[in-house]
This record gives sequence, structure tokens and C-alpha cells, in this order.
Amino acid sequence: MSEGTLKATRLCKSYGKKDVLRGLDLELVPGCIYGLIGRNGAGKTTLLSILTAQNTWDEGEVTLNGEPVWENRHALDQLCFARELSPALKTGGANGLRVKDYLRAAAIYYPNWDVAYAERLLKEFGLDRERKTRVDKLSKGMMSMVTITLALASRAPFTFLDEPVAGLDVVARERFYQLLLEDYGETGRTFVVSTHILDETNGVFERVVILDEGKVLENTPTDSLLEQFRLVDGPAEAVEAACTGLKVLSRETLGRRLSCVVRGTPEQLAALPADLDAGALNLQKVFVALCGHGEVLNHE
Amino acid sequence: MNETLSDQGAIYLQIAHMIEDDILRGIYREEEQVPSTNELARALRINPATAAKGINLLVEQGILYKRRGIGMFVAPGAGQAVRASRQAAFYKRFVCPMVKEAAGLGLTVQQLNEMVARAAEEVKQ
Repeated sequence: MSEGTLKATRLCKSYGKKDVLRGLDLELVPGCIYGLIGRNGAGKTTLLSILTAQNTWDEGEVTLNGEPVWENRHALDQLCFARELSPALKTGGANGLRVKDYLRAAAIYYPNWDVAYAERLLKEFGLDRERKTRVDKLSKGMMSMVTITLALASRAPFTFLDEPVAGLDVVARERFYQLLLEDYGETGRTFVVSTHILDETNGVFERVVILDEGKVLENTPTDSLLEQFRLVDGPAEAVEAACTGLKVLSRETLGRRLSCVVRGTPEQLAALPADLDAGALNLQKVFVALCGHGEVLNHE
Repeated sequence: MNETLSDQGAIYLQIAHMIEDDILRGIYREEEQVPSTNELARALRINPATAAKGINLLVEQGILYKRRGIGMFVAPGAGQAVRASRQAAFYKRFVCPMVKEAAGLGLTVQQLNEMVARAAEEVKQ
């Protein structure tokens, strides 16, 4: 197992005139489950493909334990990028392959590939009956299961999963997080999981990385991120007074009532007047407050 | 997400609270072993690091202690300690909001006291 840190420094990437990553800095430490969240087009997939040297970039560098990852066999051996498979991506090389050939290629590529584990997962997901099916003929849910099988069986010290639960039903999503935590409990390797479904990730991600407009907005332990936010609610004047000095991320009025999402230090938040309602926010609400840019909450 | 944890408030605090509840209810008795970090993580489907943070909080407070190579145990006197800290928190967590709500409804302190006495009678029966 690698003890090195995966580090991206001042990464820039554009597709034509579209700037996707804009001087992004990120450090991923070993032995941690990260949640990667960001809005559509924030650059999540681009970032993951660059961190694993499966995509080029324009400026900046990516290093593992101080060594550049690009064309570095030793570094690449420790990285696995489980791409989101999609029927829409007709051009992708993987999609024309049969399931068994796709996984056979993975077995060659990933030095820690665990054949027995892959078989167990295929059985559990009912994919063992689909070995000869082409990946692009699978249902969306089945595609996600292939992505998950690849990621888990790779046993790579840094494993990146792009939207692994998209297309899975709620039972399968629960099962995925269970499998992820079981594997993590055994191996302690690093996982980076991108997802839009945040309500089900409670307690899974030790840290969250929030990507916004091509930069890392947060790379913070989930608990300490959530501790910084409150929804303060009450008579407008009292709420206004209580929120002075705090960062107000959104405000919503209803008659004389005002609700504000505020951010502050735990000490500042503990000092909020007791006669106002000041509830904690879940990760989804924190994300909306940080990345909604006002369009969801300030619709007046 | 599982049913026992809420998605509001830090998970590790909820874990600590849950173990305290189980000590108060006699599910774990003094000098008995509590589930390991990994068992808790598996049962509640949470990150083992988060479960460990909750357990460590109780170790710091002297509610649990570690026996090397075996696991975590309920400390002697833990039940009493949990009860004392819960009693201290009771005022702020339950009494103050109740008094505030009563004042908002125009109830006098005397009326409130009468209600408390009546509720105590009903619980007794």
C-alpha cells in the first residue's frame, strides 16, 4: 500500500474555448473516503481523468508521493479510474467490449486485481449471466455495477469512482455503500466517489471535496464542514441582528419571517441567540448554499 | 441512510449519544464490552473513522476505556457519569425550550408548574 499523497497543483484544462479547470489545487491523503461533489459541468469527470493520467491537461502538475504521474508506470499502478459507463458514449472504446473482456482488460491493467473478489461481485450483482453482453447493451443500472466491480476489484490504493450510483435503485445504492465501507475497513485504501445523491451518503464520506467553476471550493472533513452552517429562522429584525458578522449565504423572507443560511465558526454559531431557531444543515443543503449561486433560494 | 442516524448534526456525536443511551438503558453494563469501531461502522453503514471519533469522545470523557488487544469497555461508574451529564444538559435541552414555548403561549409559571405536576401524575399511573 502506498503512503504517498496524490497532489494536483494549479491545474488548468480547457476544451476549445471552454475553461473547465481553472488553476485547481487538491491534495488527497491515503486512507480516506472522499466524496466529490459539484454541479453539472463543474469539472468532476475531467478532474478524475486527469488525476489518473487518462486525460491531458494544459498547465499545472499531478504528482503521487512527489513523482509526476504522467507516463509513470509505478504511479499509475496505484491509481484506478472507474469511469461512468453510458449508452450515450458511442465513441468510448470500452462500450463495444463484452463485460468479460472489459474486466479481462482490467485484470491485465491493474496489478492488484483480485479475481476472486471480481467474481463474487459479478455474482452478487447478477452480472455473471451477462458476461457475453456488450457493455453498451447493458441497462444503466448494470453499467453502474460494472463500474463498481472494476473499482473494488482493482484494489488500487487510490480508486476513483465517477457517479457509481447513477442508475442504481435504492437497494443497490445502499448495498454499494456497504460494500465500499467493508472494503475500506479491510484495506484502508483511498476512495474518491463523485455523486449527486447526497442524502444517502450520511456518515460515509470522511471528507468532502466541493468543486465549483473549475476550482476546489472545499476539501474539508464532513463533520467540521457541517458544523459551520446554520439555518437561522425567526422574526426578520431579530434574524438580521443575529446574523451581523456572519457570512449570510442565502436569505428567504415570508411575511415578517426571515430564514438565512449562515456560515461561521462553531463559537460564533454557539453564540446565536437562544430564542431564534438555528438548525443544522445536511450536506445537500450546505452544497446548495455554497454552489447554488442564489438561483435556487433567491428566486424573488 | 439508516433509520437510527439523522442527517442533521455531526454523526460522531450521534454515535456517542447512542452508546450513552444504551449504557443508560442497560444494554451495555459496566465492565462489559461495547461493539468495536468496525462492528459499529458495519451495522450503521458509516465510515469507521467516524465511528472511531464517536467512541474516542467517550474514552476522553471516561465513559469507555480500552483494554489493549481486546476492545472497548464500559468504565466503572459510567452509568452514573452519563446520568449526571445528561441531567446537566436536560435544563438547556428540554426545560428552557419548554419555558420559552410556554411564555410565547401566555402561560404563567404557575400554570406551567401545574402542568408539570399533572404530567408527573399521569406518567406514574
